[in-house]
Amino acid sequence: MWHKIVSLPLLFTAMVLPSLSGCNVARLTINTPLTADAVGFITEGKTTLADVVEKLGAPDSITDTEVGALVTYRFLNAKYSRVNFGWLAKPWSPVDPDLVFSRSGMGTDAFELLCDTNWVVTHQAFVRHRPEPPFTPYPF
Amino acid sequence: MRRAGLLLMMLLMLNACAFSRGTLGDEIKTDTVNSIKKGTTTRAEVLAHLGAPDRLLQLNGRDLFQYYRYDAKVGSLLLILVNFSRVSVKSDDLFVIINREGIVEEVIASKRTENLEFRFWPFGD
Repeated sequence: MWHKIVSLPLLFTAMVLPSLSGCNVARLTINTPLTADAVGFITEGKTTLADVVEKLGAPDSITDTEVGALVTYRFLNAKYSRVNFGWLAKPWSPVDPDLVFSRSGMGTDAFELLCDTNWVVTHQAFVRHRPEPPFTPYPF
Repeated sequence: MRRAGLLLMMLLMLNACAFSRGTLGDEIKTDTVNSIKKGTTTRAEVLAHLGAPDRLLQLNGRDLFQYYRYDAKVGSLLLILVNFSRVSVKSDDLFVIINREGIVEEVIASKRTENLEFRFWPFGD
């Protein structure tokens, strides 16, 4: 009986732990990702750029337009995960086998404000508001 | 008790740690930014304090000087079974808008890098 109790956890450990050996989880963030809630205070036609800068900080770029200035906040949230199932066969294989599943997701985004010549925000929008990329190494 | 057990388990599996850092551009000092006054400071004074801008743009007939600095911090926790790493990048930006008379009209600045920390845990915010 005790053989069964001991051998099952050992078997589980032998099978599962090596499969985790080749695991990598990495993340890259550039600036603080903005959410719809974070920019909810902006009212078109009323809020000034000074109000926005006070809450969100300085933007990443300001460019000229025919009606005023285009103010852009950029941010990135990238996730990467990788599992090497080749580690399962390592104890029994004369070579170093690899069976790698990996996946990365980029949440590149930008928030743009159009200001008139008096620095009042006239329009605002997220350029590409993507959902949060998950940490899932399964690529299929 | 569980947390202590988890911590002990992580310590036993700890293989290595790595910290690295990269910066781009000169530091934008707060004192220098504060010395630029709207309506009084001239273009020449801005250039004397901060040097040539990283970007120079035209904005409705006014000059826009942009100064920036990037700071990147990388933390990695290399365990025997799994590796965690995180790269955090933030920037300091300063925009100085100078009118046709050569006087500073607007100063927009923020220092995001002050709160930048070394992190290795990739989950959460």
